[in-house]
Amino acid sequence: MTDRRTEGSTANGGSGRGFTYLLLHLLLVIYSLNGICSKLASQHPIMSPQFILFYGCGIMFLGIYAIGWQQVIKRLPLTTAYANRAVTVAWGIVWGILIFHEPFNLAKTVGALVVLVGVALYAWADGRAQEQEDDATC
Amino acid sequence: MLASVLIALFGVFISSISQVMLKKSAMAKHDSALGEYLNPLVIGAYALFVGATLCSVIAFRQIPLSMGPILDATGYFYVVLFGITIFHEKIDRTKILALAIIIAGVLIYSSGV
Repeated sequence: MTDRRTEGSTANGGSGRGFTYLLLHLLLVIYSLNGICSKLASQHPIMSPQFILFYGCGIMFLGIYAIGWQQVIKRLPLTTAYANRAVTVAWGIVWGILIFHEPFNLAKTVGALVVLVGVALYAWADGRAQEQEDDATC
Repeated sequence: MLASVLIALFGVFISSISQVMLKKSAMAKHDSALGEYLNPLVIGAYALFVGATLCSVIAFRQIPLSMGPILDATGYFYVVLFGITIFHEKIDRTKILALAIIIAGVLIYSSGV
């Protein structure tokens, strides 16, 4: 879309692109697991064994995500990858309800949807601006 | 609850600063490959990043898990702010609109907590 180098690397067929999207969303799930670990760590005193365990797991998930993210943005335009990151809002809600039994209501639903729209619009505008910049330098 | 929200927002803020430091370091010339990582900017950036993760853990004592990614989205505001002030990037109206929508979403969500 915006990154010509990335366009070339994604031109290796639909299955390759599909695999990259699968990898991206797997990474985003891993990223969201960091939130669960942080929440679990927050329920224990700082520097207690449980705190260190959950906090350490959270840092580990962030590390896996960071390594995988570098591979994803080699194969997908950065703005596309960023737009997909908005799905972590949904994962936060899902984990909150399933694991921590957090109540959900209309305001939270509408607020989350509005944030999703804002993030997607930002990513789209960023991609368009990058495209215009690339055209200007050609 | 408000104090926890502010701590979470502070965490997002210092995380954005760490991104700027990493970008500054990436733009600078280094004598060696090791120097690309072992320099004050990168080390400082990762120290800030650890601080940001601790902020989120402290904030999660009060705020629901589902609110974390919502507050994370305010990072786009700082990215634009630092892009304009530090890297002299231009911002178009669509991005301003997107930021306004994100902030509105955060406020709507917060009203339901």
